[in-house]
Amino acid sequence: MSASQGSQKAKEAYYTASQGQLIWARFKRQRAAMIAAVVLAVLIFSGLFAPFLSPYDPTIAGRDANYLNGAPQIPQFCDANGCSFRPFLHTVERTRSMATNFRWVETINEDERRYVTFFTRGSDYKLFGLISSNVRLFGIDTGMVHLFGTDASGKDIFSRTLHAIWTSLQVGTIGIAISFVLALVIGGVSGYYGGWLDSVLQMITDAIRTVPAIPLFMAIAAFVPAEWSAETRFFFISMILGLIGWPTLARRVRTHLLTERNQEYVLAAQLCGASGGHVIRRHLLPSFTSYIIVDLVISFPYMVLSETALSFIGLGLKDPVNSLGVMLQNVTSADVLLNQQWYFIPVIFFIVLVMAFVFVGDGLRDAADPYSGDRK
Amino acid sequence: MTDMPDMPDVPDKPNVPEMNQPALISTNGLSVEFNISKTLFNPKVLKAVDGVSIDIPKGSFFGVVGESGSGKTTLGHALLKAKPIAHGSVTYDDGEVRYDLATLAGPELKDYRKRAQLIFQDPYAALSPRMTVRDIIAEPLEVMGLTKTRDETDARVREIAAKCRLNLEHLRRFPHAFSGGQRQRISIARALVCGPQFIVADESVAALDVSIQADVLNLLKSIQAEMGLTFLFISHDLSVVAHTCDHVAVMYLGRIVESAPTRALFKAPKHPYTKALFSAIPSLDPDDRGRAQKLTGEIPSATNLPSGCKFHTRCPFVQPRCKDEEPVLEGVATGHSVSCHRWRELAQD
Amino acid sequence: MNLLDVENLTLQFDTDEGRITAVDDVSFSLAPGEVMGLVGESGSGKSVTAKALMKLNPRNAHYGPQSRISLNLEHGPVDVMALKTPREMAVVRGGAVSMIFQEPMASFAPAISIGSQMVEQLLIHSDLNAKQAKALSIEMLDRVGISDAATRFNQYAFEISGGMRQRAMIAMALSTKPKLLIADEPTTALDVTIQAQVIDLMKDLVAEFRMGIIFITHDLGVVAQTADKVAVMYLGRVVEQGPVRSVIRNPQHPYTQGLLDALPKLDDLGAPLRPIPGDIPSPLERPSGCVFHTRCPKSLGRVCETDTPGWSDTGPDHRAACHLYHPGGQT
Repeated sequence: MSASQGSQKAKEAYYTASQGQLIWARFKRQRAAMIAAVVLAVLIFSGLFAPFLSPYDPTIAGRDANYLNGAPQIPQFCDANGCSFRPFLHTVERTRSMATNFRWVETINEDERRYVTFFTRGSDYKLFGLISSNVRLFGIDTGMVHLFGTDASGKDIFSRTLHAIWTSLQVGTIGIAISFVLALVIGGVSGYYGGWLDSVLQMITDAIRTVPAIPLFMAIAAFVPAEWSAETRFFFISMILGLIGWPTLARRVRTHLLTERNQEYVLAAQLCGASGGHVIRRHLLPSFTSYIIVDLVISFPYMVLSETALSFIGLGLKDPVNSLGVMLQNVTSADVLLNQQWYFIPVIFFIVLVMAFVFVGDGLRDAADPYSGDRK
Repeated sequence: MTDMPDMPDVPDKPNVPEMNQPALISTNGLSVEFNISKTLFNPKVLKAVDGVSIDIPKGSFFGVVGESGSGKTTLGHALLKAKPIAHGSVTYDDGEVRYDLATLAGPELKDYRKRAQLIFQDPYAALSPRMTVRDIIAEPLEVMGLTKTRDETDARVREIAAKCRLNLEHLRRFPHAFSGGQRQRISIARALVCGPQFIVADESVAALDVSIQADVLNLLKSIQAEMGLTFLFISHDLSVVAHTCDHVAVMYLGRIVESAPTRALFKAPKHPYTKALFSAIPSLDPDDRGRAQKLTGEIPSATNLPSGCKFHTRCPFVQPRCKDEEPVLEGVATGHSVSCHRWRELAQD
Repeated sequence: MNLLDVENLTLQFDTDEGRITAVDDVSFSLAPGEVMGLVGESGSGKSVTAKALMKLNPRNAHYGPQSRISLNLEHGPVDVMALKTPREMAVVRGGAVSMIFQEPMASFAPAISIGSQMVEQLLIHSDLNAKQAKALSIEMLDRVGISDAATRFNQYAFEISGGMRQRAMIAMALSTKPKLLIADEPTTALDVTIQAQVIDLMKDLVAEFRMGIIFITHDLGVVAQTADKVAVMYLGRVVEQGPVRSVIRNPQHPYTQGLLDALPKLDDLGAPLRPIPGDIPSPLERPSGCVFHTRCPKSLGRVCETDTPGWSDTGPDHRAACHLYHPGGQT
């Protein structure tokens, strides 16, 4: 009988599950989406805690003058001299002399070990701009360790990558937030009231939608004062992305509202004398929260990619603000392609980030279609 | 009565002595129209309800029957002020207050909402899928501010839920956990919770299985008896109406063609459409296949109404007069009125 | 020689909530020119059964190992369960077997004219050329009572009324001269006066075309007027089967009796409406033993809870699955 009790509990849980719980239950069953969600969580975490996780400051201040354009250094546990529990790197010495024609030549000294240290004190940073600390997850006892190598000026690519993820997430979030608020207000008013208000707002929406992004940004690049700091520029770019991103979302909000407001349960509420605000708050908004979340998750990578593309062609962010696009500005020479392939490592991260968003968004969309099995 | 310019001739209400009960809802020449064309020069108007005059006695179970395009749902909605009233007057008088629905607005409208409620047809669309049953039933109380504390609300919800045979554990669940019949009971509970006097049941059992249909109908009747409510029961199903209603009005293309106490209507219908409706009901007797008066033709579109008597295009007894002149509602007997030019001669068959 | 033989048909679906038994050991047969009514409420499995005859059920349907559906067509018997590829199934679908649905608007593609769809079907299933197909289609439209058939041929589904759409669907289904017509709640969505016309039409067509029809509905009145025999289904099982007069006038199974009692009847306005107590169990909670025992007013207790009742003959060709009539049980 405990089997039937167990199934009875399961059924009761199903009956009392709110929409959010139902969606989560359905989402969990999708293997690809769950894996993507985990990956996404890891990436977001590493972006959020980038200053802690990266050994050095990603700007010029943290550069390693002795290791320009350096190849990635992977700590190892064992070498010819035996193994150790602590990972270590060999020391690289640079010498130049007559014998090498006065060019810097690097030799690896296998006997000098530099041990990787954990929770080292590094340079100062501020986590989220609030908490200052200088503890870093790992470092090395002498010199510097560069897991992904360095770029032409010696900046650690690993640190830069993590910070770039964080920047892209920030840009995406700000852009999405602005888009979302605008879309909600404009699409909401449009969809709920209909009539001439709807027609006018739709005309405005369509007009904004036709604005082409690249020429717009070129114009902005031309007009933005050069004396603006990198941070100001950063917020400005995010805002612009949000301001041209809202039409698509607004249209979806409007469509959804147009359908939902004719539902009978809305009429039922109105027949109780419910005000428009009440109907929107208690009935309409919850009805499309799931769809909006899906839309937001799916729109996120578009924001990230837009910013990347713009920065890559020089119209977006610039040094020292660090994003993938900025990092990719330097990869376009043949020299890099042939000799410094590690510059492309961040690209893998971003592909994974975008794909993770897409899979999670798809999974959410499949999970959020709750009532297909419900009708008679 | 409100002054309406350009009002079509509203025929005097037929002199039908009947109601020993005062009328809760009384309409005279009620018309509901929709603008269906956007052009300025040729505005097409859909007359969903055209000159309907009925009296719904207090405490009665009043049935309105019709097929698609008859306007019965629009009539029900208009009586609840869910659709705007274009012409005519509607009066609500429950002994406490007296409202003229055509001009009702503001706080009086809010008060009317407490007194008149609607039960929907589709149990799957009428309940907000994201609210628990308790919240769904409690919503009218909260919106109208009828209870002060959460405990008071809960007590009232439980009371009404028990009347509708929903128990405590049902209250915690979401609509997706329930069958059609149960959902309809939740809908009924929601309509009853604010203590209304008048309930419009719009095809409330049409979407239910037969075995559940009887259950819900019995529930409605017992609630009516217990709480002294007045029901307007809209349906396309004559058999259901026959068993539950005291009085039935038959509508066709926005007009009432016949209105009578139930037994009188079923024993001796006077209007050809009513007779055809009866004969169209498939009988449970396999040998009873000889019913006369099957109608030919389709129901005309409501945007392209026939002239004269709206039914003349399908009437087996049509005469030239029917095409030109619209019949008026005439009294036949106590409480029984019919709108047909030839009802007297046809009644002699 | 029976037109259709269905034996031990069992269908289960894999859903999010588990494995649901939609159809459980259903058997019936149909002779040419016979009309059978398949009656049931929601969850009875009647639609799923009908779709199984044309293998229209979704991918997650699992047929029981004993299930057999065989059609006896002109060129020999066809084992429907053995059909795998769409090409093999094309013999069955639209050719020898046609289906009409409840919602005619959903059956016609909205952007193609009705005529084109009818002609398309004919071109697939017969040897006619386009011109002949068009002529036949117009003739069929006329035959089903659509006025001005030649004009209607070029119209779109949304331009004509519900009743006419249903007739057009019947015309389309019949134009390939099927041996078996499956009608899934064809009149449920129609007004009652239109329903009467469509029922009359179907009866005429049966007489003319000598088709077998499986008429699926929840409306016992419609069944009484159109069918020769009837099978009553509840939660995936057939509980009673027999000639329509016998079953309706003399129902043996408590469920059939309950259904008939619950119907409002026009000849006795004062009679109370007697519902069947309880609710239809969800397919996830199928009762053990006799599926109806949770609501049965004549339940015999333990035996109904544990044992699935077998068939008991209660009249010529009339049988009910109920322990009440089991030779070993109480009378």
